[in-house]
Amino acid sequence: MNDYFRCSAALFDPAAINEKPEALEGIRVLDFTHVIFGPTVTRILGDYGAEVIKLEVPFYGDMWRLSTYWGRYWKHSNPTFQFITRNKYFVSVDLKRPESKELIYRMAEDADVVAENFAPGTAEAWGVGYSHLSKINPRVIYLSCSTYGQYGPMRYFPGWDLLAQAASGVLHLNGHPGTGKFYKLPDYLGDFVPGNIGALAVLMALYHRHKTGKGQYIDLSQTESLMRALPHFTYRGLTGESLDRTGHADPAMMAAGIFKTRDDKFLALACATHGQFVGLCSAMGRPELAADPRFDSYLTALKKENADALRALVSEWVRASECAAVLEAARTAGFAAAEVADDQMICHDPWRRERGSVILFNDDMYGEITLPGSSAMLSRTPARTKWLARPLGYHNRLVLKKFLDLSEEEMAALEEKKVIGTFDDKPGLKPPVYYNLDSDPIYNYGRKVAP
Amino acid sequence: MNPFRKKSKEVAYTRYSGLGSGLSAWRETIEKLMQPEGRPEVLDDVMVLDASESNFAGIIAASLLAEFGAEVIKVEAPQGDPARWMTPFGKTAAGVGIPFIVEGRNKRYMTLDLKGSEKDRGDFTRLAKKAAVVIESFPPGQMDVWGIGYRQLSAQNPGLIYIAVTPYGQYSQKALEYAAMPDSDITTQAGSGLSAQMGDMATEPDPFNWPLKAGMWMGWYITGLSAALGGTVALVHRQRTGEGQMVDVAGMDAYASMTGMPPVIGYTWDYARPRIGVLDFILYPYGHWKCKDGYVAIAAPRDHDFRALVKILGLWGWTGTFENDWRFTSDRIPDLLDQAMQLHKRIEERTMRYTADQLVSRALEYARKAARSKWRGGGVPIIMKVMTPETAMMNKQWQVRKSFAEVEDKSLGKVIVTSGFVKMSESPPRVKWITCDIGKDNAFVRTKYGLPQAEMEEDMA
Repeated sequence: MNDYFRCSAALFDPAAINEKPEALEGIRVLDFTHVIFGPTVTRILGDYGAEVIKLEVPFYGDMWRLSTYWGRYWKHSNPTFQFITRNKYFVSVDLKRPESKELIYRMAEDADVVAENFAPGTAEAWGVGYSHLSKINPRVIYLSCSTYGQYGPMRYFPGWDLLAQAASGVLHLNGHPGTGKFYKLPDYLGDFVPGNIGALAVLMALYHRHKTGKGQYIDLSQTESLMRALPHFTYRGLTGESLDRTGHADPAMMAAGIFKTRDDKFLALACATHGQFVGLCSAMGRPELAADPRFDSYLTALKKENADALRALVSEWVRASECAAVLEAARTAGFAAAEVADDQMICHDPWRRERGSVILFNDDMYGEITLPGSSAMLSRTPARTKWLARPLGYHNRLVLKKFLDLSEEEMAALEEKKVIGTFDDKPGLKPPVYYNLDSDPIYNYGRKVAP
Repeated sequence: MNPFRKKSKEVAYTRYSGLGSGLSAWRETIEKLMQPEGRPEVLDDVMVLDASESNFAGIIAASLLAEFGAEVIKVEAPQGDPARWMTPFGKTAAGVGIPFIVEGRNKRYMTLDLKGSEKDRGDFTRLAKKAAVVIESFPPGQMDVWGIGYRQLSAQNPGLIYIAVTPYGQYSQKALEYAAMPDSDITTQAGSGLSAQMGDMATEPDPFNWPLKAGMWMGWYITGLSAALGGTVALVHRQRTGEGQMVDVAGMDAYASMTGMPPVIGYTWDYARPRIGVLDFILYPYGHWKCKDGYVAIAAPRDHDFRALVKILGLWGWTGTFENDWRFTSDRIPDLLDQAMQLHKRIEERTMRYTADQLVSRALEYARKAARSKWRGGGVPIIMKVMTPETAMMNKQWQVRKSFAEVEDKSLGKVIVTSGFVKMSESPPRVKWITCDIGKDNAFVRTKYGLPQAEMEEDMA
């Protein structure tokens, strides 16, 4: 067993990640997205090596630059924006001007993926929709992200993660049965989950294009992405009953609930099989429960009255035990248990650092911060972090000069007309106060900088 | 229904004047999306062996690949995967749990006794030689001990993508110590940071202030989605280079890695975020309120949206209301929860005077007027009814988009399942069947992949 763990530790060694190849190397993404939903799609593509060119409005930028926790900034930036936009190139062009459209059309010529999450129809109306860009580049994969989708009677209705949660039934379901107490999924999960679905769809389209040479259009609705997670529709159809809120319990697994311990901690516990339940009974010192007719088969034990009775017994046992003792009992007896983990625990758990699912990253501009690693660890083509967010328009020169070969005169003319522009000294948009942009060779690409 | 008919609501909310010259090409694309039937399937060259057991994260990962056209062979013990009986309140249809039926989509069902039979493990190896993807959820190292782990299978099939789904992953000291710990959705939610952020604030009574479980298998859904996504990245690499690899997914990473909030907030703040009930840390108003006949969700977080909302609710004005009160106009996301709740209750007093429909039409009427005016600061307050799954399903939007499929099953009859969770013009995902009887495809799989038929072997023995 130790040999297996040594071997897999070598396969996934976090220190070796940067020497490994990138699965999406050479894939160029033109990224019109903003806030969380769309940017999550392109962030994932960027994590796996795609070159993501994030386009923002000069002097304003993505509204998520300003949307900070309790209105507070970290080094003049929004820390949550740092993660959502890592590894991207930050370019600012004003979409409403004809000059910028020329730039975009030139970038679209060799873009593999284009992503947007404007209100449905807006990208088309502005001349940067699939109809326009697929004429310039028929191999393009174009992803439109919205709350309800690009067609259907609700397509016009504006959206946020919250509205997708309300429209899908998800919002209604998180809370306590028989009360008005329910809560949205936290932290805009209704953006992050659909964002991951979007990345999945783009990867599928890349796979399809490799076989057939064909690009395609993808219409991603975040409400549909959330409804995919609900068995409730089928449950209603097959049983004739509604599956409502279920509080701290999971009605589909034996003894499953969130319980409070003697040392006032919270933990979750569940049994996936009757065999695991036998383990739980012995840990509780109540081996006879395994043969109790209410609990002697998995399906019988899930019946509401039996499940309630079982949860009451487990709750009583957990309340009388230390959290660590229950976790140790679960580990040795073989049932599932985990302490409810908060931000501090997750950020500082040594095993997450060892695994690389929480990484202490050192950025050239922002210094140290902890970030999540990838949701999935890949042994050969792992995801990685190269840089964090950058001030608005930070990569203008790099992208426009290096990729589009613009001259100094052309650049100056665009700046003069405010077709491109930077951060206008606003928090969220500008660099940290200690950072000297004048000596930054990337910001000043093609110009001599003082060391 | 004509999906191109322009609505006044459309003008109000999207604020663009029309599609102009692009219309006919755009219409053609949308019509393609509306007719997904008969289009090619992306993964028609991919075979997936799903050996996950008692674990819906693995099952969901396999489902997502199956919806994109992979041939997924679910390999389970002859007595059936215990996941078949994980079902709310023990409710089954034709003896199978509802979640298993929902995720039964497009799969082949084969029985192999990986635990108990050397011969069956041999058959598994022979299948794995032809597979693009293997998914498993046994304790880390278990498949290796059986001689069918990544090391052994990849030696015979270097292009193999091997996805392992467990609570703590395949390496690290913790993973070794907790190798025998089984998986569940609720522990995934709790251990990866979701539960800590859901529930009432500390001042509210027990047990409402406890951390909460999301009302669906969100932990397993995130983990399964992460596994499918990682696996698809590996498929793209394999398509270019022929190389396979191992994909390690840990349930305890699920929420933290997908949202990134716990590590980032954990570093930039020196204490853990408390639970804040129906409030929001970043955006306000951004939540739900009680109204006369139910609940409405309201999103009006930008300043001009907020101003529009208070106007709709009759709270804008100088005397005793919001306009001159900086606590409400410019400090809507304070870390003083009392102050935040005051604002919340002031809004609730007003929403209680109206029905959901009245509030929705008031917001729409406001947006329509603001869209017509040349002044762009009018704001777009968004109000919507909070749906239950049942009312959500009745929405015409999802009928037009064919978001639900009615699938015919010989023992269950017609079954409604979610389908086409993303629309694609060339190679859309779809649900073809949900029949999931134990071992129903034993003969099919054995014939197709050149394994001896099981009965014949028994005779020989």
